[in-house]
Amino acid sequence: MNGGPALVSIMRQGSTLIASVHTALNDSELVRFEHDLVDQIGEHRSRGVIIDVAALDVIDSFAALTLRRIADMARLRGAQTVLVGIQPEVAFTMVRLGMGTGAVPTALDLEEGLALLAEQGSHHPRPDEPEA
Amino acid sequence: MSATERSGDAPGHTADDVADLIPMVRRIVYSRVGSHPSAEDLVQETLTRVLSAASTVEPGMLEPYAIVTARNVVSSLWRDIDRKNRNQHRLVDLSAPEPPEKQVVLEEEQSAMAAALARLDERERRALLDHEVDGADTHALAARHGTTAGAVAAQLNRTRARLRVEYLLAIEHVDPPTDRCRPVLIALSSGDQRRQREVQAAQHLLECEPCARLSQPLLERGQQRNDCLRIPVSSDADIVSARRAARELATRLAFGATDLTVIATAVSEVCRNIVRFAGSGEVVVELLEAPTRGIQIVARDGGPGITDVDRALGDGFSTYGGLGLGLPGVRRLMDEFAIASEPGHGTTVTMTKWEGTDHERPT
Repeated sequence: MNGGPALVSIMRQGSTLIASVHTALNDSELVRFEHDLVDQIGEHRSRGVIIDVAALDVIDSFAALTLRRIADMARLRGAQTVLVGIQPEVAFTMVRLGMGTGAVPTALDLEEGLALLAEQGSHHPRPDEPEA
Repeated sequence: MSATERSGDAPGHTADDVADLIPMVRRIVYSRVGSHPSAEDLVQETLTRVLSAASTVEPGMLEPYAIVTARNVVSSLWRDIDRKNRNQHRLVDLSAPEPPEKQVVLEEEQSAMAAALARLDERERRALLDHEVDGADTHALAARHGTTAGAVAAQLNRTRARLRVEYLLAIEHVDPPTDRCRPVLIALSSGDQRRQREVQAAQHLLECEPCARLSQPLLERGQQRNDCLRIPVSSDADIVSARRAARELATRLAFGATDLTVIATAVSEVCRNIVRFAGSGEVVVELLEAPTRGIQIVARDGGPGITDVDRALGDGFSTYGGLGLGLPGVRRLMDEFAIASEPGHGTTVTMTKWEGTDHERPT
C-alpha cells in the first residue's frame, strides 16, 4: 500500500473478492483498506466479499466499526460481505467490549465463507474453476 | 666532486693522495649500496672523513683507512635506514586533533556542574565531595557525622538525585516556571515512585513543557527497570505499538491468550481516546507484585478532559461518531478501572488486570 510489505492483499476469485489482512493495522491503515476494498468491489463488479481477519490480534471498537462500515458499503454496492477467521480470544474480547459485527455474517474460515456466499447465490464460480 | 683542496703541507698525506683514492672509494660504496640515491653522498662523506684524518694517518696506511671508513659510512647508512623504519610508526600521530567545540562543551559542562554543586546545601555538598572526590567511604562518613552507613548512603543518593536535576537546569539554562517543577524533577531523578505520586509527577509533566523536556534524560536513566514501560502516544501508529508493548509485558505473567487480547484491546481503546481527544499523552504499563500479580495500565493526557465522567461511562454515550462504547466496554474488560478527569487539565485512566482472575474459556 505505501511501500514495504503489503499489509493487506485483495484477490479476485470469480465474482468474489477475498481480502486478507496480513498484520495488525492501525486506524489510518484500516481506513485506507476500507477505501481500497470498496473501490475494488466496483471495479471487479464483485457480488461477494470475504474479509479474512485471522491475522488481527486485536479488533477494538474502531476496527469492528470499520469492518461493519465496509460491509454496509459493500451491500449498497451490491455485494455480500462475510467476515472469516475471527480468533477465539478476539471473539471473546469483542463480546465483553460490547462490540459485535452487527448484521455482518461471519464464518469460521475461508472455505466456510465461500460456502456461505455460494449458498446465498453471491458466488458464481467460473466454469474452469472447481466447485467449492 | 673534487677533493683537490690542499690541506697544507701536512706530514702524512696530501689532498692529492686522497683524490687518488676516489675511484676506489666509489667502487666500494657502489658495490655495497648499488644505485641507492644517497650513494654519491656516501662517497663524499667518506672522502671528507679521510681528508680530515689524512694528516694523521701513517704513510702507506691511507688506502686501508679509506676502505674501512667507506665500509663504516655504508653500514651506518643501513643502520640509519633500519632505525628509521623501526621507529617510523612512532612518528605518526593517529589521534585526531581535538575539535575546538569539544573544549567549549567541556567548559560548559564544567560550569553547569559547578553551578549545580553551588546550589546544593553546604552539608550535602561536603558529604558528596568527601565521598566522590576524596574517596571517603560511607562508614568513615557515618562515623564523622555520628550516623549509620546506610543513612549516609541514602543521603548521598538523595544528593545525587538533586545534583542531576540542578545540573540539567544549569546546562539547559532553565528556570523552573512553577514551584512544583523542582520537587517533581527530583522525585523523577531519584526514581522514588511514592514521592512521584505524592507530587503528581506524571500529571505535571503533561502540563509543564520545560519539565517534560528535562525529565527525558532522568526517565531514561530510570528505564533500567524492566517491569515498567512508558510509551508516548500521539498518533495512530503509537496505538498499535502501545498495545503491542502491553501485550509483550503481560506475557511475562501467567496470563492466558484471552487475557492478553483483552489487555491489548483495552490499551488500544484508551490510547485511541488520547489520540482523538487530547492529541497526545502517554501510557505507562507496569507489572504489579502486590496484592497479587497483575498488570496496571495508566493512560494519561493533558487534553480537554471529560465534563461528565458518569455519562461517558454509560453505554451509548460518545462525543465522536460511532457506537459510543469506548470506556464502558474497557471497564468491562478489566478487573479494576478508575477514571479521573478535570476539564481543561486532562484525563487519567487507571486500569488493572489481575493474574488468575481470567475468564478463560474452559478448553
